[in-house]
Amino acid sequence: MKRASLYHEQTARKRIASLVDPGSFTELLPPPERVVSPYLPLLDIPVSFDDGLVIGRATLGGKPVYLAAQVGQFVGGSVGEVHSAKLTGILKAAARDAIPCLLLVESGGVRLHEGSSGEIGISEAMRAVFECRAKGVPTIAVIGADIGAYGGMGILVTCCDFRIMTEHGRLGISGPIVIEKWMGKQAYDSSNRALVWKTSGGKTKYLLNDADVLTHDDSASVGAAIGELLSKSQPITLGGLKTRQQELEKRLGDFGKTSDPEEIWKAFGIADIGEASLASGPEFVALAKRKTP
Amino acid sequence: MAPTPKNTRQLNKEERIRRIAGMTNGKFVSSNQVADVLKLIIEPDDILCLEGDNQKQADFFANQLATLDIKDLHDIHLVMSCITLPAHLELFKKGAVKQVDFCYAGPQGQAVAELLAEGKFPIGAIHTYNELYARYYMDLTPRVALIAAVQADRAGNLYLAANTEDTPAIVEPTAFSNGIIFAQVNEIVDSIPRIDIPADQVDLIVEAPYPMHLTALFTRDPAAITEVQILMAMMAIRGIYQEYEVQSLNHGVGFNTAAIELLLPTYGEELGLKGKICNYWMVNPLPTMIPAIESGWVKSVFSVGGEVGMERYTAARSDIFFTGRDGSFHSNRPMGQLAGHYAIDMFIGATLQIDINGNSSTVSKKRITGFGGAPNMGCQPMGRRHPTKAWLKVGAESNPGPGAIPGRKLVVQMAETFQSGRVPTFVEELEAQDPNIKKALHGVAPVMIYGDDVTHVVTEEGIANLAACRTIEERQAAIRGVAGYTPVGLKRNMKETQELRARGIIRLPEDLGISPSSVSRSLLAAQDIKGLVRWSGGLYDPPSQFIDW
Amino acid sequence: MEKFDKTFPSKSFSWPPDKEWAIAGVVGSGNLEVLFERNTESPNTMECHVESSIPGYEDSWLAALEDFAANYPAGGTKVTIHDQGAAPIVVTFRLRQAYDHLLQKIS
Repeated sequence: MKRASLYHEQTARKRIASLVDPGSFTELLPPPERVVSPYLPLLDIPVSFDDGLVIGRATLGGKPVYLAAQVGQFVGGSVGEVHSAKLTGILKAAARDAIPCLLLVESGGVRLHEGSSGEIGISEAMRAVFECRAKGVPTIAVIGADIGAYGGMGILVTCCDFRIMTEHGRLGISGPIVIEKWMGKQAYDSSNRALVWKTSGGKTKYLLNDADVLTHDDSASVGAAIGELLSKSQPITLGGLKTRQQELEKRLGDFGKTSDPEEIWKAFGIADIGEASLASGPEFVALAKRKTP
Repeated sequence: MAPTPKNTRQLNKEERIRRIAGMTNGKFVSSNQVADVLKLIIEPDDILCLEGDNQKQADFFANQLATLDIKDLHDIHLVMSCITLPAHLELFKKGAVKQVDFCYAGPQGQAVAELLAEGKFPIGAIHTYNELYARYYMDLTPRVALIAAVQADRAGNLYLAANTEDTPAIVEPTAFSNGIIFAQVNEIVDSIPRIDIPADQVDLIVEAPYPMHLTALFTRDPAAITEVQILMAMMAIRGIYQEYEVQSLNHGVGFNTAAIELLLPTYGEELGLKGKICNYWMVNPLPTMIPAIESGWVKSVFSVGGEVGMERYTAARSDIFFTGRDGSFHSNRPMGQLAGHYAIDMFIGATLQIDINGNSSTVSKKRITGFGGAPNMGCQPMGRRHPTKAWLKVGAESNPGPGAIPGRKLVVQMAETFQSGRVPTFVEELEAQDPNIKKALHGVAPVMIYGDDVTHVVTEEGIANLAACRTIEERQAAIRGVAGYTPVGLKRNMKETQELRARGIIRLPEDLGISPSSVSRSLLAAQDIKGLVRWSGGLYDPPSQFIDW
Repeated sequence: MEKFDKTFPSKSFSWPPDKEWAIAGVVGSGNLEVLFERNTESPNTMECHVESSIPGYEDSWLAALEDFAANYPAGGTKVTIHDQGAAPIVVTFRLRQAYDHLLQKIS
């Protein structure tokens, strides 16, 4: 038997290679161009040739796509000046060329070492996402790594058309340690991994509709999910925003006082918490009675 | 004229039991009386065995002993397998112990080193397990043994459940030399699932106020296995397991061997090795064995102890594991160690330090860890007479002379060239050779496995076949050849190394057809504990510290 | 940060016509990235530039690079390494991985 390579364990480059049509990927601003962080050397921190973001063009099932894959191991996948410029650039190219843009996300958010340049950079990238949406160009975020999408990247992925998650991915703004620091260990024990994933992990995000799809943790499944969404885009309309607002208000009403994520699971028809915890992404989807909007 | 020895031990035992007459209900002692009972049944100069096995500990007894004053407990000759609890150290701090003979002190290694330096740890000798048990029948027969069992029935029979471990080895010599056996049990019940120790070998029993200490020592999370460990595992499977057609084996616990276990259903399968190797195992019921077992690789496993969380799985797999008539798991350390000495083709384990002659030790100036079972498994069984393919093949490679045994056991040491913190594994001289350590051990350095017994060394750089080396100089060159960029490795002579490679004594990954690019965590049959639970069909119950879903 | 350069003699590597570079590894704790680039000016040498966040291991680094240059045809190559405390083990590993990328032994 050979186990499929698991998405959450792959490097950014390996993820790209596993998802796209073989040999179809051309990297933009590749390592030899040495477009590296201007700030990290000043802090005696090693630079990376791609500043933690690999961007380029490829085809997926014959269809052209632009891609950006974050390197979670490099300074936590955090977004610095160069990284965000590459991200903004690829999104703008997508908008310009009317070609879908895939974001393979693995980031804690803004790179604090680079101060406001990272913050400004992420904001510019968000603007570029909206440029895509205004033109009906699909923007799809895959959140399937343990680091997840946090901080500014958590916000950015929510601006995209779609979010594909796996059971390993997490989505949020403040990380578990920060939550514990502010709310106390009784309220939230950040060392309890089961709790952390039940709060912000793919399974719960899928139930609550923050994730559109919950797939298996391998590139074939992620690729198939992307394929389904490549021709779809959701325009941002006033009507759409109001509907979303109502959904969120209902969610707050239903779960605002819930302190145990397992209660949310039960509310979505999960009878056996143990079985659902052990379940893979697709198994969990089969167990839950999630309402699609 | 010396008096003729008669039955003084028996009479003395009866006297000790008489002393506690009013304090017991037949054999049964209540927990609040244990300290007082111990004061009366133990005498100065006794050889006292306190059950401290690798996994289970008679910790209630340890805690009670620790409360005793030096006027009530002194000049004790302590014999025990494993010194693991702070309570054990209390006995030394108080000065109650006049001599200690043991095997392993891993968890307290640092504290033991400190006590040794202060002159408060009077070592008789550090042993390998079977060596110590053997001496229980010779010159270290316990006068009093404090053991741990899971349950007792009203007649005083004991049930040991999965963690039999050392108990039979302690009980037999003591019971049959008029010694006193006092057992702590988790509970006293009307009927026990099976009788592991019969009542007539047990003198006293107490239902302890808390269950005995039991550690999940052998559980390794696949998520922590690194690419380098996977590379080494691939090298071992291809370069040794396949090469010598290893049928029976023991894995020393660790991530290196856990990686091998998880690679059998994938890489091993790719090489077409299922059924051809790894049929008979002497290992604990390791969770990382689950995928290989479920994939049909394993015919049987005998264990020296249990493993927390594997109770339901082992009971459901009685074709593979040794289980009692009641259906539950059974282990036995002395017999498992015996199998690991005579009845295996290969021992493979990791170590912290290897010198240029192939000697290894885990003992350093700051940590006295002892040996455990490694010397027993990692040595050549000169009394062995039955041949197997692997035994004859390695034997032939080592060019035995006319007076030498024709076969050899594969004794394989695995180690990355650097430990964490960039500390080199390979050294010119072992820290265990330090004069102060040797002095405390009556002139003998605590070498765990001797270079003369080692047949192969596996590092991330390559495999060195020490068995095929004709001289000590060749052996040293072979070791330097796989010692990478450690100071020991940097001293290698390039010409010598190339020559050894040409002869096949040093084999690099590429010589084995392994390219570093083929190394991937996706080769692991399970990538985390959750994966192991799924492989077991939900029968494996990991301890809570391993659950993250 | 410790930086050093050294050039090693090495048998000429026949660069595949469609490749100019290959990269392996990631800059993270205990890890490193290595970039191989074509160097047409010097077909019989491997030119190395190392930047490491943990000083004091130059001997090990140079020995590992020297061995690599001796064991593999790597002439006509420029090697640049960004290291964040990888053990020498990982160094050789990543060098070989990047090399295999060039030889298209892996996807």
